Amino acid sequence: MSTVLEFRNVVRGYGESYPVINDVSFSVEQGEVVGLLGRNGAGKTTLIRLAMGLLHPQEGSVHVFGLSPTDHPVEVKKRVGYVAEDQVLPTQAVVDDVIEFHRRLFPQWDVPLERQLWIQLDIKLGATIGKLSKGEARRVALLCAVCHKPELLILDEPAGGLDPAVRREFLEVAVQLLNREGTTILFSSHQMGDLERIGSRVVLLDSRRVCLDESIERLREEYCVAMAPCSAIPNSAVLERVPGCLRVRHILNDWHAVFRRPPDVAAAELRQALGIDGIRCVQVTLEDLFVEMVGAKH
Amino acid sequence: MQLYVNPSDEIPIYRQIVRQITEGIAGGRLAPDEKLPSHRELAEQLVIAPMTVKRAYDELEQLGFIETQRGRGTFVCESAPKLDRSSQREEIRAAARALLSRAYMGGLPFAEVMKLLKEADREVTQGRAPKEES
Repeated sequence: MSTVLEFRNVVRGYGESYPVINDVSFSVEQGEVVGLLGRNGAGKTTLIRLAMGLLHPQEGSVHVFGLSPTDHPVEVKKRVGYVAEDQVLPTQAVVDDVIEFHRRLFPQWDVPLERQLWIQLDIKLGATIGKLSKGEARRVALLCAVCHKPELLILDEPAGGLDPAVRREFLEVAVQLLNREGTTILFSSHQMGDLERIGSRVVLLDSRRVCLDESIERLREEYCVAMAPCSAIPNSAVLERVPGCLRVRHILNDWHAVFRRPPDVAAAELRQALGIDGIRCVQVTLEDLFVEMVGAKH
Repeated sequence: MQLYVNPSDEIPIYRQIVRQITEGIAGGRLAPDEKLPSHRELAEQLVIAPMTVKRAYDELEQLGFIETQRGRGTFVCESAPKLDRSSQREEIRAAARALLSRAYMGGLPFAEVMKLLKEADREVTQGRAPKEES
């Protein structure tokens, strides 16, 4: 497998303030579908803009196909498809002209795929971009991002503000690309269901850093949340010291602790370490895991 | 056979596929030698990652329920592996006890449990009688 995208010790902020991301490192291998998660403002869009060469890292390095996207913008962009979070197509332009522009830009443009997507995504070729609904404009952006058959597809909040039917269409196109081209995909999202459908791995950002980087399968089967009454455990440090503990939160009269262990193993280890019975360990959905990992501590 | 996945279910998607295909074979809705969709086809149909389907098929193959013939596709095995009868009976007996405890705690009488079992049987076999063991 070859590395498609690599962030190494990346630091980036805006203006004088604290960096938005601080010492972020992870890489994406060919054929992976990585979901970039984090609360609003966690730095997901900043990372995506760094990968697209729209921002320079202040420290560290970003490589796409082994190249710096700011030093080699053309070579990188030829092989990458990108749908931005906001509508970036020119509002005055006619859809057909926008597609034509992209078709001329890329010699490897796949015309049969374009025709198929006209129908599949119900593209209104004669309409002006400004007159389209949000969902219709995102569909045009998606068509323009995939018809040159990118090796890496980057979607920034593809679900943002879209109805479930349009979201499903985005996923359908993504699955077709995975099937036919083995495309590598990086997407940011708050839709855990979408992530479970097509994702293979999660990178979770919190407090300006990567706080979790794990395959979805392992998150679902080899992680758990332990719930223990505060009356039995005086403070969170007691739980934090138990091996495998990633984070502890205080919820009403209970502690919630995320463990990198299957539930039965965590329960046994907790019993042994603390000498307390009755700590309940459960497997949780990605949504609950997300909340336990980055939700408020109190 | 129609498969359905629910991403917010408590069990992961690949396990949902394994379970549904296993039920299909057990209930006779999937016949021996029947061809299954390729993992690409099933991925597009269910709108899930092809890797997830592959993972499910790998597991079913390991369990001996399906087999992939190079260049031809994936098929239900001619004879699905039979579990050892006595250990299987023990497992089912334990499951039956757990089922009844839950029902009785919720105030459900035995007759109601039987009704639910018959319903479940219809869902799993869809009217096809379970195969008789010789």
